[in-house]
Amino acid sequence: MKPDERATSPTGAHESLAARAQTPDMKDPAVVLSLLEADQVVAAKREPFGRRKLSPGMQALLWGLRVYVAAMLVIVLISILRAV
Amino acid sequence: MRRRNIEAGLQQTNPQPPRTKEATPTIFHDLAGLLTHEDLDRARDRWRVARARWGGGRWKVGGGARLLWLLVGPGVLVFLGENDAPSMLTYSATGARYGIGFFLPFAVATFFAGFVVQEMTVRLGAVTHRGHAELIFDRFGKFWGFFSMGDLVLGNFLTLVTEFIGIRAGLGFFGIRPGIAVGASLVIVLGAITTGRYWTWERITLALAAFNGLFIPAALLSHPAWPEVGRALATWSPLPRGNHAEIITLILATIGATVTPWMLFFQQSAVVDKGMQPRDIGMGRVDTILGAALASICGIAAMLATVPLFRHGMGSGQYQAAEFAQALEPWIGHTGATLFALGIFEAGIVAAITISTSSAYAFGEVFRTGHSLNRPLRDAWPFYLTLLGSAGAAAALVLIPRFPLEYVVLTVNVIAVLAMPPALAFLLLLVNDRELMGEHANGTWANLGGVAITALLICAGIGYAIATVFPGLLGG
Repeated sequence: MKPDERATSPTGAHESLAARAQTPDMKDPAVVLSLLEADQVVAAKREPFGRRKLSPGMQALLWGLRVYVAAMLVIVLISILRAV
Repeated sequence: MRRRNIEAGLQQTNPQPPRTKEATPTIFHDLAGLLTHEDLDRARDRWRVARARWGGGRWKVGGGARLLWLLVGPGVLVFLGENDAPSMLTYSATGARYGIGFFLPFAVATFFAGFVVQEMTVRLGAVTHRGHAELIFDRFGKFWGFFSMGDLVLGNFLTLVTEFIGIRAGLGFFGIRPGIAVGASLVIVLGAITTGRYWTWERITLALAAFNGLFIPAALLSHPAWPEVGRALATWSPLPRGNHAEIITLILATIGATVTPWMLFFQQSAVVDKGMQPRDIGMGRVDTILGAALASICGIAAMLATVPLFRHGMGSGQYQAAEFAQALEPWIGHTGATLFALGIFEAGIVAAITISTSSAYAFGEVFRTGHSLNRPLRDAWPFYLTLLGSAGAAAALVLIPRFPLEYVVLTVNVIAVLAMPPALAFLLLLVNDRELMGEHANGTWANLGGVAITALLICAGIGYAIATVFPGLLGG
């Protein structure tokens, strides 16, 4: 984002006001909220993002990778047993 | 979208920030009760970033040194954290076994791969403000979430064990008893987290991570043949010869020294805890490049430091740090060996801090308990307990007599590489999720890079499997 655009966007404008203060008054929620993005506040993060539907192809890929990891862990076990 | 709704709501209730308390709308008095200690600390950090951007009365284009100083951290920490005890021992083993050749440019290439995937976590963290584990659970549900967590927990715990092996071995060079070495390291981990402030924790850990540079003077004391180094970097030769199974294991271990699942989880969570925002992505990239470059230089230094063992036909029979330092002493002197042993100790301690923090972040994100280093101990005790508990359990394991430590060191980086493809698949799915990422979603080149790295890791894993199950098939 260019500086001009940032200064005219809501967050940028609020932040610039806060930035002018020599020491921010953190007891003022307006100051805190001008510095943080709305969904950056801890209270806002309690709400989970919704589930995403996985296509059958994607599910097959994830299962394939899961089988790959399981098989590889067996290989590692074989390798360790041989080394011992 | 939920995120946009919140923003719209806030903009509606707060078209202009109030200048005085009297003008403060009711919404802010309501929110005053919801704002936490964590929010206030993060806002303080953001104010310093805003001041750095604002400069002398107008916005500074591109930031500057002050802005870099404020925003550097997660990228440097993740890469220097991954330059951990088993990684430095892997680099040392390749230097001692194969000298200057293929493994030198190969290690540099793995840092490029590391940058490609870690940059995606910067964007994910800065845009969504959620950790990696939290996003996987939210978007793909508990079933896939717990699979990912299983890989992370197993990998992190085994890696933590190897960090304490490195700590024990590194300080063992100075005659310090294992119990004291491990106990003192746990006190350092505890000291870093009791500040209750992400910024302080980050700066303490960065200061410790700077000692990864100890490998550089150790390498210089080995008097590297610079023309050979240049030739190897340019031509990727000479190629390693000998036992193919051993070469493939070292290739996997070298990849695992740079590209591992914990790094994805850690950097994203650290970016979130630091409070980075989409406008910081550029500096986040600089931070990540800086981390990859520094770690690459230190990794190569560890490799070069042990080349005298190759030149004198001493090989790398011992992978434990103290033996490397002791074996090097006749060739790089007592000072060089001391620097090497201290470097292994440092590598272990920084990784113990970052990897246990990565486990704690993931635990907090999954079980929705407080998970920020900006939270005081009493507010987020499960987070801190996980952090210290995982470090303490790994430390205790190292002290068990006759525990087969050398096998853990040998296999931990290999396991990390084998667990990486599913982690990369989730990373690519998340960073391509336009509902979450909007304009910051992956472009074609980033996707090509991510897919190519995943495919290469799978091929390397299959090669390792063939070499293990059918050792005669590959010859050598």
